[in-house]
Amino acid sequence: MQDKITGFRCKKCKKIHYPYHDRCIKCKGREFEEVDMGSECELVTFTELTALPTGFDQRVLNLGVVEFPAKVRATAQLIGENFRIGQKLRAKWGLTREVDGEEFYGIQCFPVEKR
Amino acid sequence: MRKVVIVGVGMTKFGRRVEGLMQLLSEASLAAMDDAGIGDKPLDAVYVSNMAGGILNHQTALGSSLVDRLSLLPAAAETVENGPASGSSAIKNAYFSIASGAYDLVMVTGGEKMGDVPGFVATDAVATMSHPEAEYPLGITLPSLAAMFTKLYMERYGITSDQLAMVALKNHLNGLKNPYSHIRGDFILEGVLHCPEAIVNNPYIAEPLRLYDCCPVSDGAASVILCAEEKAKEFTTVPVTIAGFGQATDHQTVHEREDPTDLKAVTLAAKKALDMAKLTPKDIDVAELHDAFTILEIAQSEHVGFFKKGEGGKAVEAGLTQIGGKIPINPSGGLKSRGHPVGATGVAQVVELVWQLRGQAGERQVKNASKGFSLNFGGFGNNVIAFVLKKGA
Repeated sequence: MQDKITGFRCKKCKKIHYPYHDRCIKCKGREFEEVDMGSECELVTFTELTALPTGFDQRVLNLGVVEFPAKVRATAQLIGENFRIGQKLRAKWGLTREVDGEEFYGIQCFPVEKR
Repeated sequence: MRKVVIVGVGMTKFGRRVEGLMQLLSEASLAAMDDAGIGDKPLDAVYVSNMAGGILNHQTALGSSLVDRLSLLPAAAETVENGPASGSSAIKNAYFSIASGAYDLVMVTGGEKMGDVPGFVATDAVATMSHPEAEYPLGITLPSLAAMFTKLYMERYGITSDQLAMVALKNHLNGLKNPYSHIRGDFILEGVLHCPEAIVNNPYIAEPLRLYDCCPVSDGAASVILCAEEKAKEFTTVPVTIAGFGQATDHQTVHEREDPTDLKAVTLAAKKALDMAKLTPKDIDVAELHDAFTILEIAQSEHVGFFKKGEGGKAVEAGLTQIGGKIPINPSGGLKSRGHPVGATGVAQVVELVWQLRGQAGERQVKNASKGFSLNFGGFGNNVIAFVLKKGA
């Protein structure tokens, strides 16, 4: 199981994608290499969801869009509370959900600074 | 390409229905067939739009089932699935099949039966349209995507919670005049937002979006019958022409869009449809927009070009989108009040426009409406379809 956040860099134009595409969204290239996007990221927008779908044993789920230093954005679960736009977060890859016995993994972000 | 006209429309009441999915599809179809006076005439094809019958109702291949149920054999039949834009996709297929000359007479029926399962199951079924690797595993739902979009839109354009609520109040007021609408009630701003009980009356679903910012989960079906212009006189004296069509796509994940507040596919689809009809947004008399969330009516009204970016909220506040306003939006009550049986919605939007252009919309009639516009918003704006309808052939 991976633990880092992996982006996919087009070998032709160097555009980094998340998630994976079979053709580059910028130059239509078809060859990519994996890149570690690191763990530092910044919160772009977020919500506290109280109407959850199947696969959660909790009443609230925090979700957000984060941006990594390479200017690549991703959607993520937010672990914690009292989030704010622009907040610095730390990202990791983890177990996010279990639906009908099937485990799902994705990006989870945690606060790294006190408000 | 031949001109295509709509000669029959029908729909079921939307809401919680005891009937099964096939019964709803059949009820709407028969209403449209009777409206067009089809009688024993054979249909060339039937398109059924539905998103989640396989997940929620254990029913697939609905087109094949419907033609048999309605004794329309051997008409061509198929099911069209394109998320919340399924209804408009099915109408598009019918449009091109007639315009090309392949068929003369086609029925499109859209429907969904969502109320038989717990809310979290229906929510999850709709969420299966999110990205399978980057969104769905996280628990992303459509309300959560709308909420994150709203937060950015509020920050950039100064949209307020009051303006969002005013969209809901307007559409519920319109829905009270629509006998087919799901959520019926005349709500006031104080009750849903400013009184001490507001957090109970109108709790957060996905902050900053509250219950009254979100459309309900509905059962229902809607149907339209289309034919080649030269055949229209056989079926109706009040034809409505499909004058424009446009469709565009965008990145599936909102986070990959260059500007997450820019609904590019809405702008493109609307422009294509209006260009094809040789019209501008100013020429439109009545519009049905995809207000699955209140923010979407405001954002779509700007991206279509009815208002400048950042002016949509103020336009709602000023009453410009009410029946009788500068551009009446969602006189049917929209998804917010009429309801959102996902596969039916795109068809129901067109049904409402046909009634408006025929002058048959009763208490919610927009005076002298002759040009209508619909926008069906698939995914979270990653597959959008627009139509322009004109009164007459």
